Amino acid sequence: MDASTAVRVLVIVALLAFALLALPILLSDYWIVVLTEAAIFALVALGLNLLVGRVGLVSLGQIGLLVVGSWVAARFFFLTGLPFPIVLLISGVITGVIGTLLGLPALRLSGLHLALITLMFAGLVSIVIPTVNFPNGGGGVLGHTESSFGNPAVRRPSIAQSDPAYYRYTVIVIAVMFLLALIHISSKAGRAWAAIRQSEAAAIAAGVNITFYKLWAFALASFLTGVAGGLLAGDEGKLYSIQFRTIDSITLLAVVMMGGIYSLWGAWIAGLLQQLVPALLNDWFGFFERNPDFVLVLFGVGILQVLVTAPEGLVNQVPKDLRNLGRLLARLAGKATGRSRPAT
Amino acid sequence: MFPGLADYKPFLITGLALGGVYALSGVGIVVLYRATGVLNLAFGAIGAMGALLSWTLINHTSSPHWLAYLVCVAFGALVTFAYGVIFGPPLARRDPLVKAMGTVGLALILLGIMSYLWPPKARTMFLPSTSWQYHIGFAGLDVNWTQIIGLLFGVLVTVGVAAFLRYTRLGTAMRALADDREITSTLGVPVRRVEAVAWLGSGVLAGFSGLLLSDLVGLDAVGLTFLVISALAAALIAQLRSLTVTLIAGIIVGLCTALLTPILLWPNATFSVSTYRYGAPFALAIIALLVMTRGRRVVSISRTDR
Repeated sequence: MDASTAVRVLVIVALLAFALLALPILLSDYWIVVLTEAAIFALVALGLNLLVGRVGLVSLGQIGLLVVGSWVAARFFFLTGLPFPIVLLISGVITGVIGTLLGLPALRLSGLHLALITLMFAGLVSIVIPTVNFPNGGGGVLGHTESSFGNPAVRRPSIAQSDPAYYRYTVIVIAVMFLLALIHISSKAGRAWAAIRQSEAAAIAAGVNITFYKLWAFALASFLTGVAGGLLAGDEGKLYSIQFRTIDSITLLAVVMMGGIYSLWGAWIAGLLQQLVPALLNDWFGFFERNPDFVLVLFGVGILQVLVTAPEGLVNQVPKDLRNLGRLLARLAGKATGRSRPAT
Repeated sequence: MFPGLADYKPFLITGLALGGVYALSGVGIVVLYRATGVLNLAFGAIGAMGALLSWTLINHTSSPHWLAYLVCVAFGALVTFAYGVIFGPPLARRDPLVKAMGTVGLALILLGIMSYLWPPKARTMFLPSTSWQYHIGFAGLDVNWTQIIGLLFGVLVTVGVAAFLRYTRLGTAMRALADDREITSTLGVPVRRVEAVAWLGSGVLAGFSGLLLSDLVGLDAVGLTFLVISALAAALIAQLRSLTVTLIAGIIVGLCTALLTPILLWPNATFSVSTYRYGAPFALAIIALLVMTRGRRVVSISRTDR
């Protein structure tokens, strides 16, 4: 392991330690819940980040898959007594299968057509879920009962019952998922994806099975989203169809692009943008409580900005801007001290 | 189980009226796409905001109604034109997905502004033509003039735009642009000006359809924004190419959604077809997309600048 990788690993470990140990002490329960949801959405964003950034496939249906994942997880939580991680795995796998089936049309669609068809899927899910509803302890296939008294909440793991404890649990699970994504990227799949994104024709010529690797990308992204769905079920306890809107699939793409699709850190920024920023704005400016959707303006401007000027997103743009700022300051400092500098 | 024929009749009218407006919007979307390569997904949001502006003018100021309607159409034209002129050129060489994502950005901005200026509350837009009712004796149906306008203008706009594209110089220039932007510019056609006209025309249609839909369907920002899906379904069925097919497809989409409404008991009362009728445009769009690309294997040659 060379120096720069070692430094990167150290930074990640330090940040993780800070997030796990320091934050629950520093922040109130309310902000811990916000961060838990930010982390969950970062996981969903990771799936989309991989699809868009690594393979070049744009999906506007990820929230639809999140609905599926949450539903499956909630159903299994109520139906069985299986341990929490097992249910997460089950919901991940089932969502992964459904996502792969969704990806089948992707094999001959690309770009705009794929984005549209995934948007239609998200729309269909948002129309079906209000009548099907989420499981809440009732019986039957759908596990939903109309009675609103004494419905149990989705259970949490026995070691993570309280909000801060569940936050730590979530962060650890998500860190493991990010590791999974990293392993994929540095493996044969990652190289195949890079080849596909660059030029499918060249990839085929080089002997890459683009059908298999495209489907694998969908499977992985959907698996991650399914796990996120399970974590969300445990986090919320009671799920309502109104929490999952078609527009959320669109804003997810917006924040993933704003965060930056060429780096996995972008997924974290995306999660924070989608959950933390609205909560912060709400806290500082109050008026967001009455107008929560005003933050859509920010996301809309963000998309346009990314498309027109900064395709790498905030993750690369901010360091770039800081570097430029540093150079500017150095030049000014040089002028001030009368030192002549060679033209940069 | 299944409703009788008489139960379908009123929905036949609403279906045709809505279908006409979807066709109108579909034509706006198709022509813009052909001329500029941009699939305007903000079409519904633009119309919605125009309609809300009209509503405010009518209900909170003493403006005459005709002025308010004019404002709606003008707003549609202005916003679409401004977007096209500002964001068209920088994105002109990118692929259609990037261009469409730009319009999604616009839609989000408009939705955010609308949710702030017009907090969710029941509002109705009542066009004067709705109060003029006809009774079609032999069919036992009631129609109002807004519905007639919807269907009529759907047909008129389709025919008019098709004629415009075919018989006028500007229309021919637009068709040339749709074929190949670069070559068209070398022929001396003022490309940006022709595109600007396409944006303007599409914007007018956006405002007009927003006005009609706010009366026919309801004045709700998010609902109207997502009605673009129905227009999109019509445009996709027409493969983003033929205006006549857009007209027919728009009417089909309108009829499908409307005619599913009275089926309240099949397959069963809780999960009747009627509850899922708003999924019809989505389902039709999916089918259109799959049919559109059947037998085609899309393989990218090289990654253009994203």
